Amino acid sequence: MDMDIACPRCKTTKYRNPSLKLMVNVCGHGLCESCVDLLFLKGSGNCPECGVALRRSNFRVQLFEDSNVEKEVDIRRRVLRDFNKKEEDFSSLREYNDYLEEVETIIFNLVNNVDQLETNKKIEKFKKENRELILKNKARAGREEAELEALLEEEAAQEEARRAQIAMEEKEEKRRKIRNKEALIDELMFSTGNAQSIVRTFAESRAQDAAALAQAAPAPVPVKATQFSTGIQIGRGSGHIEFLPVPRADDTPLFHYEAPQRLFDGPSPPSWQEVDQLGYLAHIRGASDEERAGGYNSHIGCLRALEDAMAGLYYRANREGSVF
Amino acid sequence: MFPSSTQLKHWTFSSEPELQKYREESNAKFIAKHGVSVPPEEVPEIFLSPAEERILVHSYESHLREFCKRFTPAMPRAVLGTAFHYFKRFYVYNSVMDYHPKEILVTCVYLASKVEEFNVSISQFVANVKGDREKATDIILNNELLLMQRLQYHLTVHNPYRPVEGLLIDIKTRALLNDPERLRPAIDDFLERSYMTDVCLLFPPSQIALAAVLQSASSNRENLDSYVTGTLLGTPGAERLPGLIDAVRNIRMIVKASEPVNREIFAALNKKLEKCRNQENNPDSAIYKKRMQELLDDDDEREARKYEKIALQQKTSEDQLVGITRVLSPSAS
Repeated sequence: MDMDIACPRCKTTKYRNPSLKLMVNVCGHGLCESCVDLLFLKGSGNCPECGVALRRSNFRVQLFEDSNVEKEVDIRRRVLRDFNKKEEDFSSLREYNDYLEEVETIIFNLVNNVDQLETNKKIEKFKKENRELILKNKARAGREEAELEALLEEEAAQEEARRAQIAMEEKEEKRRKIRNKEALIDELMFSTGNAQSIVRTFAESRAQDAAALAQAAPAPVPVKATQFSTGIQIGRGSGHIEFLPVPRADDTPLFHYEAPQRLFDGPSPPSWQEVDQLGYLAHIRGASDEERAGGYNSHIGCLRALEDAMAGLYYRANREGSVF
Repeated sequence: MFPSSTQLKHWTFSSEPELQKYREESNAKFIAKHGVSVPPEEVPEIFLSPAEERILVHSYESHLREFCKRFTPAMPRAVLGTAFHYFKRFYVYNSVMDYHPKEILVTCVYLASKVEEFNVSISQFVANVKGDREKATDIILNNELLLMQRLQYHLTVHNPYRPVEGLLIDIKTRALLNDPERLRPAIDDFLERSYMTDVCLLFPPSQIALAAVLQSASSNRENLDSYVTGTLLGTPGAERLPGLIDAVRNIRMIVKASEPVNREIFAALNKKLEKCRNQENNPDSAIYKKRMQELLDDDDEREARKYEKIALQQKTSEDQLVGITRVLSPSAS
């Protein structure tokens, strides 16, 4: 904690009075606890710095060093209590973003005292127009909180039960040890047999006991699972989360590749290798480096010309008689 | 590959009579539509007959060739071939009287240069057109989509130029012929003349290419018959030989038979066409201008309405966002 925080009125610092507690009100100016007690004896009064009328009940402990931040947090909390629309309340993301921006503008205006009157009017209007929605969202937030609380409670109860069980087991263990020891001493005192063998048989029987205990250790009480490992609750409270049904596998037959059939309707042209071997390439211009860089080579052009020359040579229209 | 192309499936006709039949049908359709009020005995006087249409298309084909040859920058031959294909295909199912060949011709070349990846901008393109450039731009761009639609969007064309290259490579590799390159001038000449005929609507490009090579060889006093029978087809293709010979002979005959159109006939038919053409598709006619104006107005109106709607939407959404109807400045009160 910083040592030179000081009450602006009585100038007490943290150094001189370690128990100094700075309080802050809606106007954002700080005051130490004793000054608050002194000045607001009647329950209301004016801020010594800015003269705004304040109520004592609105004083809170200052959490942030910068009182402006404190003020903004306060205003934000107040504004957001009413501007509590959720993204689901809007038809598009764009509208939601515009809404958020508007809220930020309002908060900024209030914090920096810009257009106070206008802004407050705006808030009133919004409240009036959206009363139902605000109430609904508040209720929803309350419900969510309640759910969360219930969850925490449940966890605490489980923890408690586990701890009680462990304590009981420990107590049992201790009692058994004491009993064993007493039995051993009694045995040694009153028996006539060999002391060593007695000690040995006792040690053995204790080991057996321990083994039996370990075996018979009660399985941990099965805790009823209330949530998935992801933290989503089973059954209740999942609310708007809906799962799409897994699409059913189609019964249509699988795709089978068939090589495309090339209609040629003419003498078959030379193959890729033959173009080279039979010397076709000798009669065309070789591909330049620039052309080859693009993936072209002489084979392509040569084969295309040859294929075009031969494709359709066998074509005969189903002509009746002469063409003329 | 040509054997699996739309060119074979939809645009290679079995015979000239079949082609003739489609052309007559489109001619009859036009007359039936536009000649309702004309007495039947005057029809031949006013409207073009299918034969006259053929002559017109034929003579405009030579215009097309001249246009492509004089085109700057010089265009690859494939563009010319493709343009010819488009032009011929278009007038199989459409009447000359419906769409003037002069307009379709330039549009075909423009579309072909796009399809064959010969990059010219429209302003560069119309620089090659005589007369009003702006009007030409309008005509071409207006007709481009129509042309594509009438071609049923079958835009890939297999020209005989590549098969010729393939055959020459094959001849150089597998046939004994000294200097096959000297065949080229005659081959080019043959292909050029072949485009003045209907062979490209009747035969596959490889057969036309082979016919061109054989024609050129015979005019150069060479004989490639042994190459075709022995090497090109070989034993597996022996039974196909008669069909191929038949096709090649037919191609050569058709090409040989083609002759240029008499200028006087052309001028007379052109005059007749000006009178009977569909005025709705004539950019100089009043009807056409009126229709275009209407379309334009419609567009304007629609745009204005759309804009209004958007503005209103924006206004309401903004009001909702701010949450207050109007923000008064502090000094306003």
